Amino acid sequence: MAREKKKKENPVLGALKKIGSFFKDFGEAVAKGDIWVKASLLVAGAGYIRRKQVVKGILVTLLEVGLVLYTVLIGFPYLAKFGTLGTVRRGAPVYNPVTMKNEVPDYDNSLLILLFGVISISALVVGILLWMWNVVGSYRVQKLAESGKRLNTFRQDLHEMFNKKFYITLLFLPIAGIVIFNIMPLIVMICVAFTNYDQTHMPPTELFTWTGLANFKNLFSTGGLTSTFGYTFSKILSWTIIWAVSATVTTYFGGILLALMINSKYTKMKKMWRSLFVAAISIPQFVTLLLLRNFFSDIGILNNMLTEIGFTGFLQDVGLITTDYIPFLSDPVWAKVTIIVINIWVGVPYLMLIATGVLMNIPEDIKESARIDGANAFQIFRKITMPYMLFVTGPYLVTQFVQNINNFNVIYLLTQDIYTTMDQKLAASNGKEVDLLVTWLYRLTSEAYNYKMASVIGICVFVICAVFTLVAFNTMIKGDKEESFQ
Amino acid sequence: MSRKKVINTILLNGTLAVLAVVWLVPIVWLFVTSLSGYDGMNTHRFFPETFTLRNYTRILFEPDTVAQFPAWFKNTFLIAIFTCLISSSFVLMVSYAMSCMRFPGRKGLMNAAVMLQLFPGFLSMIAIYFILKSVNLTNSHIGMVLVYSGGAGLGYLVAKGFFDTIPSSLREAAYIEGASEARTFMTIVLPLSRPIIVYTVISSFLAPWTDFVFAKIILNSGISTDWTVAIGLYNMLNRTLIPTYFSRFCAGGVLVGIPISILFIIMQKFYVEGITGGSVKG
Repeated sequence: MAREKKKKENPVLGALKKIGSFFKDFGEAVAKGDIWVKASLLVAGAGYIRRKQVVKGILVTLLEVGLVLYTVLIGFPYLAKFGTLGTVRRGAPVYNPVTMKNEVPDYDNSLLILLFGVISISALVVGILLWMWNVVGSYRVQKLAESGKRLNTFRQDLHEMFNKKFYITLLFLPIAGIVIFNIMPLIVMICVAFTNYDQTHMPPTELFTWTGLANFKNLFSTGGLTSTFGYTFSKILSWTIIWAVSATVTTYFGGILLALMINSKYTKMKKMWRSLFVAAISIPQFVTLLLLRNFFSDIGILNNMLTEIGFTGFLQDVGLITTDYIPFLSDPVWAKVTIIVINIWVGVPYLMLIATGVLMNIPEDIKESARIDGANAFQIFRKITMPYMLFVTGPYLVTQFVQNINNFNVIYLLTQDIYTTMDQKLAASNGKEVDLLVTWLYRLTSEAYNYKMASVIGICVFVICAVFTLVAFNTMIKGDKEESFQ
Repeated sequence: MSRKKVINTILLNGTLAVLAVVWLVPIVWLFVTSLSGYDGMNTHRFFPETFTLRNYTRILFEPDTVAQFPAWFKNTFLIAIFTCLISSSFVLMVSYAMSCMRFPGRKGLMNAAVMLQLFPGFLSMIAIYFILKSVNLTNSHIGMVLVYSGGAGLGYLVAKGFFDTIPSSLREAAYIEGASEARTFMTIVLPLSRPIIVYTVISSFLAPWTDFVFAKIILNSGISTDWTVAIGLYNMLNRTLIPTYFSRFCAGGVLVGIPISILFIIMQKFYVEGITGGSVKG
């Protein structure tokens, strides 16, 4: 810890500096290296083989050959078309006299070009960096040999991988997984935001191509009769924010309140109460949420019961509803309230568990001295318990907010196939009043195949979450309160 | 006992009882409907008129074109086992490297991980679908395992937090005795991390049981025997299927719900042990 705290410099600047020194090392290696180091510019293993690190030399050379072969044979054909994302549309099958069958002539698949183009470019960049790093490494080996130090044998190198360099062994597979299943797909989808990939441009039958910032303009322009994305976006964005704030706040305070009640000295059988609430959330969400949406449906059991006891009639008399049922999940306003209430049901027990853990850690003597000074229960809660809770769970609250912006399950499972929007403008862009940005994104892809707009929305969600996280962490960590409760 | 104390006790326990009833209504409804003699959803009575175990026998032993519960259960179980193996080892490996080792780029990697998690998961899902399709892994359970466990390394924070609490003097003693880093990891740190290992294993085992979005995208062939429990049960509540399958859906929900709840409750216990364990040891 101490070492890292020593100097706090700008991380971006630090990274730039590191990149700069890497290039400097490379320049120095090329300029001052002997003939073998220079040869390793061409044959990657040359420098190592000269220093009798034969196995290592052969391995890096093989890697080099593999990368070059991939780039030339597979990568290059895709890269050549990357600028246009393909020009040859899929044609009608043509009779092939050689195979005596009807065959579709060669055509371009824009999506595959984009996919493999991105993969090839990344492979190329990584390859060039590895190549430079290898030359630097060869030069380092040369310097070591010249100063008369003993060089590691391959066996020793291998041994290092389980010792000083064990982190490379540990991180290799997980990072490879993250690159393949997170980073590559993200880059591809970010690229899609700058193309016209939608229902009328679906590979393999059709082509799509780069359109620059057109989709972003489409999202932020509100005028026009055909384009309702701006309208839908502002509506859904405001509901997303309202939802995220109210969902986070209600479950947070609900959870603390419940934890305080359960842990109160007047409460009997604390363990039993706690397990009852945990039991409620331990059933998989898709089961309970699907059940609840039927429970609250227009012709569902709750509506029937409320009609029987006359509550629905009362609401009709008061003028709160015009239908002869309560539109819990079918009216825009009612549905939003119902969803937030159901989310309290889902979220409070989790918060109760966390709050219980934190509350137990509050030093009892602080509370005791406050009590002696004459503070009542509410004052203790406001002046000691709450600040302590906020301090400990602050970062959790931030991640919780971000998770609620991306809370797909609750909204999707409660409204999919049930809620239909009456707003023509929303319907035109596949949105609904109760959609969050992420569920809208999902509906755009699964129902309308509008991948280009889905990607734009995904980028917007990222920007919102990133800005919020940065601001929240900066304001929270600004004052150094780390020791105020120790 | 003073008068005030009695009132407080009654008030608190009474409120808790009311809240507990509210929280348990859906679960009780799930359970009693699963025993209902009526196939569809009875919207007029909370408790069914006739009780029977037929929903359970039908969903377990008489699979039809819609309900293939035994096949779903087997699929999900296999996917969960392999996901659990791969993700748990990824998570523990990354956590150890980030917590116990110091190397160039460590901070950078951690910041990158935070950034990556701010992107909505579905965004990359579409591209993952096409990547899997280009290697013929859509509609395959291997593809599902890869989707669930591929990026697992990103979820390393909880386990790293636990490793951070293991006194570094223990590791240093091991180095002095001549143990390699790998040996220290396997024989010193892992045996001390039981609570967090159990937590990691259970939470990664549960992921395939509770997720249904990714499964719905990847397993889209419409062949019901290929599905996982989540998509299968979701499909039973289709508008046209509800009248015939609702009580069987409830039976299925109870059947997956019970083992999952048990695992979830164990996991919670170990999670609390894991995050509070540090203060005890220090």
